[in-house]
Amino acid sequence: MSTPRKLSMKKRYSALTRDLDWTPTYVDPKAVFPYTSFEGIKIHDWSKWEDPFRLTVDSYYKYQAEKDKRLYAVLDGFAQSQGHLSLTDARYLNAMKLFIQGVTPLEYAAHRHFAFLSRFYDGPGPRFAAQCQSVDELRHTQTEVHTLSTYNKYYGGMHNWPEQFDRVWYLSVPKSYFEDAMSAGPFEFLIAISFSFEYLLTNLLFVPFMSGASFNGDLPTMTFGFSAQSDESRHMTLGLEAIKFLLEQDEANVPIVQEWIDKWFWRGYRLVALIAQMLDYMLPRKVMSWKESFELYFEEQMLGGLFPDLEFYGITKPRHVEQAIAEKDLLSHQVYWTLYQFSFAAGFTTTIPEEDHLAWLSANYPETFDKYFRPLWEKAKKIQDDGGRFFFQGLPQLCQICQVPMLFTEPGDPTTLAQRQVVHEGERYCFCSDGCQWIFEREPEKYVQAWLPVRQIFQGNCGGPTVPEVLAWYGLQDGDSGEYLGSVDHQNWERWHDHAASAEVEAPVGSEPAGARA
Amino acid sequence: MSVKAIAAYSFPSRSRQELYGDDQLVNVWWRNNRFLCAAATFRAPKAMTWADFRAGLMDPWAASDPDFDPASPAEWTVDGAPLNPRDDQTLEQLGVGHKSLLSFTG
Repeated sequence: MSTPRKLSMKKRYSALTRDLDWTPTYVDPKAVFPYTSFEGIKIHDWSKWEDPFRLTVDSYYKYQAEKDKRLYAVLDGFAQSQGHLSLTDARYLNAMKLFIQGVTPLEYAAHRHFAFLSRFYDGPGPRFAAQCQSVDELRHTQTEVHTLSTYNKYYGGMHNWPEQFDRVWYLSVPKSYFEDAMSAGPFEFLIAISFSFEYLLTNLLFVPFMSGASFNGDLPTMTFGFSAQSDESRHMTLGLEAIKFLLEQDEANVPIVQEWIDKWFWRGYRLVALIAQMLDYMLPRKVMSWKESFELYFEEQMLGGLFPDLEFYGITKPRHVEQAIAEKDLLSHQVYWTLYQFSFAAGFTTTIPEEDHLAWLSANYPETFDKYFRPLWEKAKKIQDDGGRFFFQGLPQLCQICQVPMLFTEPGDPTTLAQRQVVHEGERYCFCSDGCQWIFEREPEKYVQAWLPVRQIFQGNCGGPTVPEVLAWYGLQDGDSGEYLGSVDHQNWERWHDHAASAEVEAPVGSEPAGARA
Repeated sequence: MSVKAIAAYSFPSRSRQELYGDDQLVNVWWRNNRFLCAAATFRAPKAMTWADFRAGLMDPWAASDPDFDPASPAEWTVDGAPLNPRDDQTLEQLGVGHKSLLSFTG
């Protein structure tokens, strides 16, 4: 038998991925793959899983190494040239603080769970796809940490993010989202993360951060974005492949997948509330409004483009989607107004929008901003002008599902907070919306276990009963939280730019040893 | 519906009342106020009187809004039902249970 000297690309891919699979004979296959049957999903032919990228491990590492090299060259150049001083403003970094605290840990969680799936899917196609994605996610974690460490040397809020992800109230929103997916079965995870998160909502999630970086002088984050882009498009394709594979394998899978789409659309939509406020309030130089972003990336591309294709399989638009659409003029304002009054306990700072920013908000939200939100900022400004700072003196009621403070309003009535209550096994549970209530009622046994930050504080599990004790337990330091104006970052920024003529950058405020300051 | 799982799936609530001893959680919502972004949650003894609840917990929170007038709260409800509290009644006597929602206009 003669062996060809070189295999074709297609054969080589097949040899290096599919040919490594075998059928167990001395162990029951169900014992080898114990997790792929309990969800009720029926798979008849794993070989139908198409991997449109046909990447092998050797070529994968070669591409990734090249991208890493380019990124690290940019990071070095940026650091050496004091690039952070050419950002639009120090307050821009609040968006990046949110990113490293809330998004980077999700990359790591995705790395862990895809590694698990790369062992536990029965078919070699999805196993290999999961393995590649697991490595991608670990690389993203690492490159994001290195990218933002450029700023950690000079600015607050980025020094304790892994612990904060496990502890801080607003970070329980992304954390609980991902843990909900990781504790589900392997197919639900695919719909939750690969389809809903990485396909349906990905442009709403990542584009704002990367475009925001590009508009605000943040070359490192922008370069990281480019470096992750080809991976993300592979993840998107995996999401689409996953849903088509499940739907084509058996008709009985359709209603199961539909419920997962319904659940994970709403879970993901509540998560992107944090992005909505970032786009409209945290970026000094604006990219686009949340409303525009939602209309383009979600209504046009997904509801208008993707869902008509999925109708072929009997899939309909996500449940409660009309409520999300109806909120697009309100969401970002309601969320930032909340962060403004709770930033005493956050790893970032907030401030009242300046005049030109208020004018931008009025222009972009002509139906709602002047009517409902400008008066709130005017009252906060009056408090500030009188020498105060408005903060919420207490802890907020949280939604049992999304874990966001219950700041959302009744559909069609922007002046009344939405309140939903369900009694389950004699205990009351409260929700911010019909979507979150519906998710609870599907699986109450799961969500009664929610680790809700406010309730944990009151149980005495978060460092102590007082706010300073809780903040110490969060690992927050002077300058991480509160009002931006007069903050450590603000003072440093002013000082560094007053001395623009000087070649030497002074040490940041707060970096001197105790007692060193005059 | 219920959770599909690989084994029996039953776990206690992580915010059940017994975890708070003789206390309970109470949510308070100022219905016609948009300055405070959400309702607040407090931990309060079941035997706390209405007067103490107002003076010690609710009023200091509501005063985050400088326009709050302690004399103005009216049209009280508990879990949607009308409530006419007297100062000497305890939360328990008023039917305010664990994670109940009290609301008022002010």
